[in-house]
Amino acid sequence: MSTLELRGATKRYKKDTVVDNVSFQVAHGETLVLFGPSGAGKTVLLRMVAGVVELDEGAVFIDGHDMHDTEAEDRGVGMAFQNFALFPHMSAFDNIASPLTVGANSKQVIKAGVEKVASLLKIDHVLSHAPRELSNGQKQRTALARALAASPPLLLLDDPLRNVDAKLRFEMRLELPQLLEKQGATVIYVTQDYKEAMALGDRIAVLDEGRIQQIGTPEAIYLTPHTIDIARLFGDPVINLFDVVGQRDEQGTYVELSGQRLALNEDKAACIDTDSVLGVRPESILFVPEGTVNAIPISIEAETPLNEKVVTLALTEGSREILISRPAGTDAPSSGQAYVSIDQSALMLFNKNTGVAIGESHDAKNSDGVAA
Amino acid sequence: MSDSVNSNTKRKRRLISRRALPYVLSLPALLVCAGILVPFVTAIYYSLQRYRMSQPWAREMNWGENYVKFFSDSDFWNTLSVSLQYAFLTVGFELLLGLGVALLLVRRTRVNNIISILLLMPLMTAPALAALMWKLMTNPGFGILNYFLTLVGIEDFKWGASPSSALFTVVLVDIWVYTPFIMILLLAGLRSLPTQPFEAAALDGVPRWQQFYRITLPMLMPYLLTAALFRLLESIQQFDIIYAMTQGGPGDTLTVFQVEAYLNFFQSTNVGRSAALLMVLWAITFFISNIFIKNWLRLRERARGET
Amino acid sequence: MQHHQSKLETVLRALALTLVVLFFMFPIFWILLMSLQTNETILRVPPSVVFEPTLANYKGIITGRLETSAASLEINFLGNLWNSIFLSVTSVTLALVLGVPAAYAFARLKFKGSEDIAFTLLSFRFAPPLLVLLPLTLYFQQMGLADTYIGLIWVYQLICLPLILWIVRGYFEDISPDIENAYRIAGHSWFATFRKIALPLAGPGIAAAGLLAFIFAWNNFIFALVLASADKQPVTVGALAFITASGIQYGQIAAAVIMSITPTLALALYAQKYLVEGLSLGAVKG
Repeated sequence: MSTLELRGATKRYKKDTVVDNVSFQVAHGETLVLFGPSGAGKTVLLRMVAGVVELDEGAVFIDGHDMHDTEAEDRGVGMAFQNFALFPHMSAFDNIASPLTVGANSKQVIKAGVEKVASLLKIDHVLSHAPRELSNGQKQRTALARALAASPPLLLLDDPLRNVDAKLRFEMRLELPQLLEKQGATVIYVTQDYKEAMALGDRIAVLDEGRIQQIGTPEAIYLTPHTIDIARLFGDPVINLFDVVGQRDEQGTYVELSGQRLALNEDKAACIDTDSVLGVRPESILFVPEGTVNAIPISIEAETPLNEKVVTLALTEGSREILISRPAGTDAPSSGQAYVSIDQSALMLFNKNTGVAIGESHDAKNSDGVAA
Repeated sequence: MSDSVNSNTKRKRRLISRRALPYVLSLPALLVCAGILVPFVTAIYYSLQRYRMSQPWAREMNWGENYVKFFSDSDFWNTLSVSLQYAFLTVGFELLLGLGVALLLVRRTRVNNIISILLLMPLMTAPALAALMWKLMTNPGFGILNYFLTLVGIEDFKWGASPSSALFTVVLVDIWVYTPFIMILLLAGLRSLPTQPFEAAALDGVPRWQQFYRITLPMLMPYLLTAALFRLLESIQQFDIIYAMTQGGPGDTLTVFQVEAYLNFFQSTNVGRSAALLMVLWAITFFISNIFIKNWLRLRERARGET
Repeated sequence: MQHHQSKLETVLRALALTLVVLFFMFPIFWILLMSLQTNETILRVPPSVVFEPTLANYKGIITGRLETSAASLEINFLGNLWNSIFLSVTSVTLALVLGVPAAYAFARLKFKGSEDIAFTLLSFRFAPPLLVLLPLTLYFQQMGLADTYIGLIWVYQLICLPLILWIVRGYFEDISPDIENAYRIAGHSWFATFRKIALPLAGPGIAAAGLLAFIFAWNNFIFALVLASADKQPVTVGALAFITASGIQYGQIAAAVIMSITPTLALALYAQKYLVEGLSLGAVKG
């Protein structure tokens, strides 16, 4: 296990700043997910840690040592690449053995090491194959096995499930957390898939345009996103967003949705008389009987059953679309008029112009940028 | 981390080599080539001198005089004219013939593949030896080509020995050697063209000769241009074929730049004029090579993008 | 380009192709025939392809004793052949040793001015060779390199190095950097990575560049003409001297030509699929 720290890491290609003053720490044994759209700088950031991309500014510390003068081969990291980057002229065995052939390991030690990790990843039967003879899934497992073979204390995984089919990705998403747990390594995991990020990350760093937008536990990112963009990136079905203007009366701050009053905590007072966006997760909306206090009337347009949940598309007054998600098997109207109420503790509010969240939990920005 | 001190010293040593690595790797090659830059600078220096090896006492700087003299020097204008004639005749015919052959061979049939491999053979023959082969075939005593000419009623054709046919003869040898170069370049170009425009045109009922002018030729243009510029660059400097065939003769019929410079240097030992001639040739090739490299890079990017 | 051919067109195409093959193959074919004939059959009128083949010309060229009616003449064509082999092989070897690491540096370890230097090297390929050779003759005399193998091999780098540098650089650039990164991260030094990853993967390109450089070195004429005296001359210069030498039979010249061009033709046929890319410095993929 290693600790990792980035301080002000910056990389420019010509005039493009692809990684812009990024700082974070990762604790022993922690899994940090770097999440963001393509082009956000995730891969470059990972390569900086691996030592194959030089920093223009800032520094990388592994176990407290500045890595500036340490070559990639001396950093003791393992890395799996998105495009696998298998050595095409070597067998799967030799690919996996490559981290073990450094130093004076005997043939038996190497063989044992390869076979151990190969059986863990269920590729022991294809070890003699050349990469071009492997299926995509086998390639992916070989690449992963190679990264794990030397049990590196710091593991860098660059979107390893990106180029495999949906079935395999699903399997691996279940398998990977156990695997990483067994390794006991500190892990940086890059992905564009929010489910992967939520499933694997002890914490998630959301990256966009080379900057860290938010860093925190999956729950924190999901429940208190820093920006509208982050709120939209996480969650399926996507978050409901409504244009609102904050108001205030003697009872406190509130917004109005379909004529119903939604009370807000005092920390959201900044929305008063300001164009704002109200964010409501589809699962924070509950069907209620007619006549319930603050019930919002809707007309149901369509219902889509997904595996473990049912998503309802409905229109509120003024024909605003609203998505409602409920666990499968629960009872609710599937057409016609209905009423819903909104869990007011789960309301999110954003400034419409800046897209930044309004409220207490976001005032101390990046307070959780340092490992807990 | 008990070994951190140890690995720290290791790191420092590696750092030096990392910074220096590219230079260490490329320096030997650069040094070997830099040795070539010295004679180049010397050639500039010589070209600004009155310098005959036979009259070392008269050697002095005369600055641009060698160049100024060229304007009133009919030999120089002959050299320029013959060089340009040679270059444009060879490149022109080779382009036409090369394109024709490439179009004939564009389909990947077994026979076509064998022929296109066979056609590499002239290109792989040393140009000087190719000239020697053609010399044997045009020998007035037993040359097979003379015999062929008598069959069609042409007696006593003198080939390289007569001023009226010498240029034709060396151009013919050049065409024999270098047409395959253009052919394989254009063949690769033709075979890399997308098929959709042709299919669309065929559906629209566009006649084939129109397809050639409207689609094939424009799409092939970058390849044609690259091949033409590359050949022009070599052809204007041709030495081997001409020297091996006629040594620039008869008389001054074929004294192209490099042949004239060679004769000036070794026969009349006029180093100054020889160097000045080569500088003029260098200026011409520099101009062409700049255009060529731009074109070639664009084509290279495209070829690399396709694979 | 799929289309239907009329019968006439098929015939015309076949005719055109036959003419093309005749034009380009006939000289080699004819010189080969000449090399197998005595002077008497060569001088026959009309010439004929029917004759009793003889290896006497090759024997004469190889033993170096040419018997003529007037006298016997000593030539050393095998010496020329040896010079060609030695100069080409050592030049290409040196160029590979110098050029492959440099190509790797240009392809991978982009450094300041690398692009400019690479272009300068490339431009050597396009400069008039005499521009360098003529001053070099005077320098070589001062340096004691005149008429030495070392001097010639050095100058031959002008042909071989740019070629190898540019072709091999392209092949190195085609290797995904991640493959090399993966090996580095696995704990191997850059040199181990160069040796175990980059070199094997660029292997075919290096071989092709080496073959092409060999062919160009072998076919070179002007360098040796200017810088070498008789005992250092390769076949290109040596064979040409025959035509002016008195007492040599035409069949023997033909035999010398055939022996001189056979190695490059054989190599070319062997490596033909690399030639297209190599000849155009990678501007088209074959």
